[in-house]
Amino acid sequence: MMRWPWLQALRQPEICAGWSLTQWQEAVRQTRRLRLLARLAEAITDACLLDRVPEPAARLLQSEQLISSYRQRLVAWAANCTARTLADLSIPLVLLKGSAYQAQRLPISAGRLPSDLDILVPRYALAQALEALKSAGWEEPDLDDHDRRYYHEWSHEVPPMRHAAHPIELDLHHNILPPLGPVRVDMEALLTECQPSQWPGWSVLSPRDQVLHSAAHLFFDSEPLERVRDLVDLDGLLRHHADADPSFWAALEDRAEGLDLVEPLLLCCHFCSLWLDTPIPAQMQSRLQSVGAWHRVLRMLFRAVLAPADLDRPRPMRQRAAATVVLWRYHLRRMPLRLLLPHAWHKLRGTRAGNADL
Amino acid sequence: MIGIQQQFRLEDCPVSDLMQRLRQGRLCLDLGATSIRVNSDSSELAAQLGKVYPQHPLIEGADWADHHVSVTRAKGWRRWIRPQVDFSCDFQRPFAPFPADAALPLFEWGSNWLIGQRLAHLLLLHAGVLERDGLALVLPATPGSGKSTLTAALSLRGWRLLSDEFGAFCPDRLRFIAMLKPVALKNRSIDVIRNFAPDAPLGPSFPKTRKGMVAHLAANRDAVDRRKEWVRPGAVVIPRWTEGAELSLEQLAPHVMFGALAFNAFNYQDTGARGFDAVSHLTTVCRGWQLTYSRLDDAISALNELWQQVRDRARQPFENMAQK
Repeated sequence: MMRWPWLQALRQPEICAGWSLTQWQEAVRQTRRLRLLARLAEAITDACLLDRVPEPAARLLQSEQLISSYRQRLVAWAANCTARTLADLSIPLVLLKGSAYQAQRLPISAGRLPSDLDILVPRYALAQALEALKSAGWEEPDLDDHDRRYYHEWSHEVPPMRHAAHPIELDLHHNILPPLGPVRVDMEALLTECQPSQWPGWSVLSPRDQVLHSAAHLFFDSEPLERVRDLVDLDGLLRHHADADPSFWAALEDRAEGLDLVEPLLLCCHFCSLWLDTPIPAQMQSRLQSVGAWHRVLRMLFRAVLAPADLDRPRPMRQRAAATVVLWRYHLRRMPLRLLLPHAWHKLRGTRAGNADL
Repeated sequence: MIGIQQQFRLEDCPVSDLMQRLRQGRLCLDLGATSIRVNSDSSELAAQLGKVYPQHPLIEGADWADHHVSVTRAKGWRRWIRPQVDFSCDFQRPFAPFPADAALPLFEWGSNWLIGQRLAHLLLLHAGVLERDGLALVLPATPGSGKSTLTAALSLRGWRLLSDEFGAFCPDRLRFIAMLKPVALKNRSIDVIRNFAPDAPLGPSFPKTRKGMVAHLAANRDAVDRRKEWVRPGAVVIPRWTEGAELSLEQLAPHVMFGALAFNAFNYQDTGARGFDAVSHLTTVCRGWQLTYSRLDDAISALNELWQQVRDRARQPFENMAQK
């Protein structure tokens, strides 16, 4: 069923007890580049199997666990400071994505490797929040006019901010999805369902909105290449929230209809069930079986894009072609050509070779 | 197993054979604290690696390496006009390409970056480390202070090189281990070392890197063969080269030593409490000095003399702790 033993080991760490050093090598390389190595290390630690790991691999597991806890400390500290900075505004302060999983102490947060703090404030308070953050030392990047306008008019967040005392980025959102995307999300509806987290001053989206946000983030994104980590997050969210609340799945499906996010939810359930054995209730399973031809095409596309490529050989043509199709679909759904072409031209002129992923 | 592997070293291997191994991605460099598997289609890299890693063993059929890197010639028109090489590791490409003839600096720079990012089980001090009489001399320093030059010179005068860049300290064992790469000498220090030891095994000079001119001094056979030996900390010396200065050696307060070790380290933050405890340990068992010098020979004889004290003190562990 599962093609990658390292992916299976995230849920069933006991299978690695029998791995050869060569299998460990493959597992460490793949999970490290996909940002899942510390996750694997946490699963193995929880199962008390660390002493069965061969020494060269055990060192790197330990290293990645230390880095993960350091990065999580940074996020927690930045969230703590930011809550105090924004407290006077008396507005809802919401954590998103990994920051929210951490603040709820979800099992899935163990071993995540965050690189930013993701927060959301209501649109009406965005300018105030931005000013308050800037006066507390958060700095916006240097952007040219085009990029500034892009963020201001077409994005759901302000450009990532940096702070001299916080070596992470702060992403300030006013919506979970871009206003020009295929789906416009009414943030009011999400804000009224927010719940308190374990971090003072911060709330989080309701469980069903967390799943939909993560699914939309993955399947509406321009570059979902090999983002198995997002599926691992989704698997963790689905399992955890369904265990905590028997009516979770019904509420989730209902919400997906209401927010017009059925497509990403169906894709999420398909891949979670296929690759991570996520338990999917019968009703959802029958929906997954009765999807139309277009949805089956999307599955093929995402299957090619999401599946991690084999190491030590060139990327498969199929994967690169599918990634290109997904990228174009993304742009065309997001911006009409009269906006897209000038934007693409601007980006093309500014392209540099650095930091490109192969 | 080790006996047979160490019969053959990179220097015994013709460039064509090195090239073959690189193409097949089976050249594995064991640096002591870590290991790197290299894949490349660059004949420049084959020749350059052979020059600056001559004593490293040729390892056959390794089933493990901590890092798997590729240094490959850029595709498209860059293959023909001002050709370039690309560095990548498991599909990730952290840097812009380098000119094709600077494959070695790209490999060194890229692998140093990977080491600094990924080995948080060790505290990686930004320091040269050498061993004598079973004790490690730690030379932490900021760039430009002459740390690499002094490290290179000591390694040419009987001190065993562990590293010129990464002082790899294990917080569990409380011992240093080698991160054995060639010493990267920059600009004027290349000629300084050439004059200091005319037969020093220096690799080719690369005139236009980001750090100016760079040349690499190969590690000697003894350093390579003993790269897996754990070494007790001996003393911390912060070197400072100042033109025309008289030699001076001033003892440092432990808190100054702490700052010099911790806040220059590559991964002090990543290692959390382990890193703090490790640096605390070092400042407890080591004494620290600031060494100001202008002539290498003076600095080396001062350190040789200092080492007698350090050795005597290390023989008396109880007395040594009581002094603190």
